[in-house]
Amino acid sequence: MELLVTALQSGLASLAAYLAAHVLLCLVPAFFIAGALSALVPQQSILRFLGPDAPKYVSYPAAAGAGSLLAVCSCTVQPLFAGIYGKGAGLGPAITFLFFAPAANILALSYTGVALGADFAIARILLALVFGIGIGLLMALLFRGDEKARSPMPEAFSDGGIPRRNLAFVGTLVALLIAGTLKVDWLQAELARVTLAWDGAAAAQALLDRLVPVDELRGAEGLSLQGLALIVLLGLIGAVAWRGLGKVDEGFNRLTAVSLGLTFATLAFAALGVRAGSEGLGITVTVRTLAVAVLCGLLLPQARRFEAWDMQQWLWETWRFVKMIFPLLVVGVFLVGVVRTFIQPEWIQAIAGSNTVLANLAGVVFGVFMYFPTLVEVPIAKMFLSLGMHPGPLIAYLMADPELSLQSILITSAIIGKLKAWTYVGLVALFATAAGLAYGAWVDGMAFATLALMVGGGLAVLLLALRLIERRRPC
Amino acid sequence: MLIKILGTGCAKCNRLEQLTREAVAELGIDATFEHVKEMDRIMAYPVMTTPALVIDEAVKVSGRMPSREEIVGWLKP
Repeated sequence: MELLVTALQSGLASLAAYLAAHVLLCLVPAFFIAGALSALVPQQSILRFLGPDAPKYVSYPAAAGAGSLLAVCSCTVQPLFAGIYGKGAGLGPAITFLFFAPAANILALSYTGVALGADFAIARILLALVFGIGIGLLMALLFRGDEKARSPMPEAFSDGGIPRRNLAFVGTLVALLIAGTLKVDWLQAELARVTLAWDGAAAAQALLDRLVPVDELRGAEGLSLQGLALIVLLGLIGAVAWRGLGKVDEGFNRLTAVSLGLTFATLAFAALGVRAGSEGLGITVTVRTLAVAVLCGLLLPQARRFEAWDMQQWLWETWRFVKMIFPLLVVGVFLVGVVRTFIQPEWIQAIAGSNTVLANLAGVVFGVFMYFPTLVEVPIAKMFLSLGMHPGPLIAYLMADPELSLQSILITSAIIGKLKAWTYVGLVALFATAAGLAYGAWVDGMAFATLALMVGGGLAVLLLALRLIERRRPC
Repeated sequence: MLIKILGTGCAKCNRLEQLTREAVAELGIDATFEHVKEMDRIMAYPVMTTPALVIDEAVKVSGRMPSREEIVGWLKP
């Protein structure tokens, strides 16, 4: 019975900490960016680089770009993958796109950065880029003679650009995300400080600490008074946005303005520093607060230059992403908190506490067999990290989990055939292990040049070997 | 008039169908609707992205949501 209570408490605590700490300055702007990418960036603007005649040095990076910019939701991944494979640049870039999309879209990256640290986010995007292109090239080489199923259709890749105001708008949103989350000193510099007299402040914080205990060892972050206020505000936004954003495609309504105003006010409030002390609430205005407020303010005049329909689409798409991903994430984070009480740190440390091949393989295997909905891999990774998993195997897990789910394997095998699909799965498992080993070695202090040389050398040897094998085979 | 919505059943595709149906009703046109969900049939058209709107076998838009005015413009003879 006591165990059950502890487990539930841990689940709620992890949820509370998650809502207060990660959602606002990271996920709220990220959802708005995802909506903007989906509604305001014409897909043709990137796809034109993926036509059947595109040279390799253009099509592979463009495939990666398409993965991170266009494929925020799985319902675009499938047709895009089939299209690039069947009508456009071919198997290689299609595989690069498929590999890069789940690891490097804006939601996954910003969430990884805030929950696990910027170094993990950078490692995730760099390794996914290098290995995504590597796997794409390998697949293209392996199945070189097998282009019969394709019917190139250059007319599907007509020209199209992104209007400059759309770029500026998305840019402002990205700046907002960065200003709200980047952990650098000059953003945290203090501009002004006031103290609100409130005798009960310290007592209230003490009560919260008792309800949601801070436990560094287990990665429990606790809950501050500001966090509590933010959770309440978040609930309010949700209630208002249900109609305000959910029905926006039928025209702006009064609740649209309310929910947007509330969102911006909440973002600015989240960027304030609030500390409960014996004499009351100390409130600090930092450069971050100012930056977030100014950037929110900049959005309004820009939005006025768009047609109403574009803005309606943007808000509708944003809300659609929230509705699709957020509930799963909430449940996932809660369950992670519950599960955490049952896992002994010693287990994790014994299996994946150091950067060995076996530990990295364990990370990959766990990633393949456990299927978690989008983004839930991040809180799970955070739990493993706090339980003592080495960063190397953790990256191996983060690379393998979103790439290889049963669902994605089935989709790919329906489009490109079983043999190719399983080759892809094997390669991803191999490369994810290699990526984990590489990152782990870097964390353990190996020089960057040595590491780059080894990764690059390994890829080169692999490609060379394949070339030779292909040559030998009589046609 | 034959109107085809190409889409794998995602929210956007359903929204596009709804918008088009509204536009058709508004204009009082006689039209047959078909929602094409099979990947290989979608891929037979020169589109890379869904949702796509095909009117009398001509692709009018793909990969984005057209506004109601645009749809009405395509539907008018």
